[in-house]
Amino acid sequence: MAENSPSLDYRAGVASGGEAGNRAAGDEKYRKLIFFMPTALWQVDSRAAGEVFGRLKADGLTDIATYLDQHPELVEIAKDTVLVTEVNREAVALFHGPTPADLIRPVRYLFAGTPDMAKRVMVAHFEGWRNYTEEAKILTFDGQLRDVIFSVTYPTPPEQQDTTFITITDITERLRTEAQLRQLQADFAHAARISTLGEVATSIAHEVKQPLAAIVTNGETALHWLDRHDVNVAKVRQLTTRIVASAYHASDIIQRIRLMAVRAEPERVVLDLKSVTAEALAFVRHDIESKHITLSIDIPQTLPEIAGDRVQLQQVIVNLLLNSIQAINQAESPERHIRIGIEAGPSMLAVSIRDSGPGIAPDDFERLFESFFSTKKSGMGIGLTICRSIVTAHGGTITAANGPAGGAQFRFTLPIAGR
Amino acid sequence: MREALSELFEVFSLSYRAFDRAEAFLAAFAPGRFDCLVTDLHLPGISGLELQQRLKALGATIPVIVITSSLDPNHHIRAMQEGAFAYLTKPFNDKVLINHVTAALDQAKPAHKPDDGAGS
Repeated sequence: MAENSPSLDYRAGVASGGEAGNRAAGDEKYRKLIFFMPTALWQVDSRAAGEVFGRLKADGLTDIATYLDQHPELVEIAKDTVLVTEVNREAVALFHGPTPADLIRPVRYLFAGTPDMAKRVMVAHFEGWRNYTEEAKILTFDGQLRDVIFSVTYPTPPEQQDTTFITITDITERLRTEAQLRQLQADFAHAARISTLGEVATSIAHEVKQPLAAIVTNGETALHWLDRHDVNVAKVRQLTTRIVASAYHASDIIQRIRLMAVRAEPERVVLDLKSVTAEALAFVRHDIESKHITLSIDIPQTLPEIAGDRVQLQQVIVNLLLNSIQAINQAESPERHIRIGIEAGPSMLAVSIRDSGPGIAPDDFERLFESFFSTKKSGMGIGLTICRSIVTAHGGTITAANGPAGGAQFRFTLPIAGR
Repeated sequence: MREALSELFEVFSLSYRAFDRAEAFLAAFAPGRFDCLVTDLHLPGISGLELQQRLKALGATIPVIVITSSLDPNHHIRAMQEGAFAYLTKPFNDKVLINHVTAALDQAKPAHKPDDGAGS
C-alpha cells in the first residue's frame, strides 16, 4: 500500500507496525479463547475449492449440484486439498485426538461418517451461502460413529478465502435420550391401550358377535335351501356372498383389536381422520347404545388429511368417548347425548367431543391432564395424560372446557399433512 | 342379522315382517296381527326389554323370543321376568330358534297360519 507516498508509508509503517503488534497480541488472545471454547471448532483453508469454483463460474456454470454428481472425483479431490489449519481442544476431544496435530490435515476425515455431505457443503460454498448446517454422523479416530450437528460458516469476498469455520456439536446423547423418551411414551400409551381394551371388552365382544351370528344363520339357511328338492341356487349364492362379507367384517374387527393390543413403533402415515373416528367409534358403539346415549356425528364430507399414528389417534378418541360415556352414566344425567365433530381450519383439524354429563368442576381443570388424577370411581387417571402426550407428539394441542349448555367439551387439534 | 333371520324364515316358509327398530314394530302392531315376535335386546332406539314392557302395558300376549349377544345374566333374568317366551344368545342354532318359533306359534294360534315379526 501507499507505494508512491514514502512519508505516509513511514507513518503508516510505524502505525501498522504497532497495529500488527496489537493484532498479533489480539490474535493470540483470540486463539486462546477459541482453543478453550466449549464448542468443537475447525478453521479450514478452502482456497483449493474456491479456485476450482472460480474457474467453473468463469465458464458459466450455475448448476453445481448436477455438475458434482457428474464429476464425483472433484469432491474427492477437494477432500484431500481443502486443509484444516487450526482446531481447538474440544475438536480434539470429539475425534478422540490425541493431539491437535492429528486433526491438522486435509478435511477428508471430517466426512468419513457421512461421505456425501462433502458435496452438499461444496454446493453451499459455490452458491455463496453464509452458513450451511446438517445433521450428520462423524467417524472418530477410534472408529465410533457419533451423531452431530455439522455447521459451516463460509468466507464471503472480500474476506480472506482461507478462513472457513466448521463447528461440530455432538448430539448423540440428546438423540439417545429423545429416543428413550419416545419409547417410554409409546410403552405408556400401549399400557393404557391394554387397560382401555379391558374397559371396552363387552363392546368388542358384541361387535364381533354380530357378523359371526349372521354367518351362522346365513350358513344354516343356505344348507336348508340346499336340502330342499327345488334347490334355489340364486338364494344360496346370495347367502354365501353375505357369509363372505360378514367373515371379512369380523376379520377387520379382530385386526383392529389386534392393532390396539400390540406394542408397535408409532408411525407417521397420511390418514383420513374420518375413518380413524369411525374405527374408534366401533370400539364403544355398543357401550353408547346399551347405556341409552344418543350420538351425533358432525364431520364434513371431505376433510384434508393429517399425518399420524392411526392406532394412537383412535386411542385418543376412544378415551375421550369413554370419559363422556362414564360421565353421563355416573351422573345419571337425564339428557344423554354425545356429539363428536371435526372442523377444518387453515392449518389444523380440530376434533371436539362434547357430552351432556355434569361437566368439569372448576377446581379440577388444572389437574385434569395430570397423571393419576381421576374423578371416576374406577379411573386410574392416565387416560387424559395419554391423550395429551399423543396429541402433543402429533404437533397438536388438547383443551378441556365446559359447554355453554353444560357438559364437558374436549377439543384437540392436529396439523394438516403437508401444511 | 335381520336379513339373515328373514332368509331363515323364508326357507321354513314362515310368513314374516322385518322391522329395523322397536318403534317401527310398535307402530305396525295391533292385537292379533302377529303371532310371534323375535327381537334383539340391543336395538337402535328403545331396547328389547323396553319393547317387552310396552307390549305388556298394551295388554298384548304375543310370545316374544329374545336373541342377544349379551352374556350378562341380568339381561337374561330381566327378559324372562318380562315374560320372554325364549332367550337365545348369539350365535344360536337355527333349529333351536325355529323350534321355539314353532312352539310359540302353536301356543298363539293352534289352528291358524302364523305371522311373526322379526326385529333387528
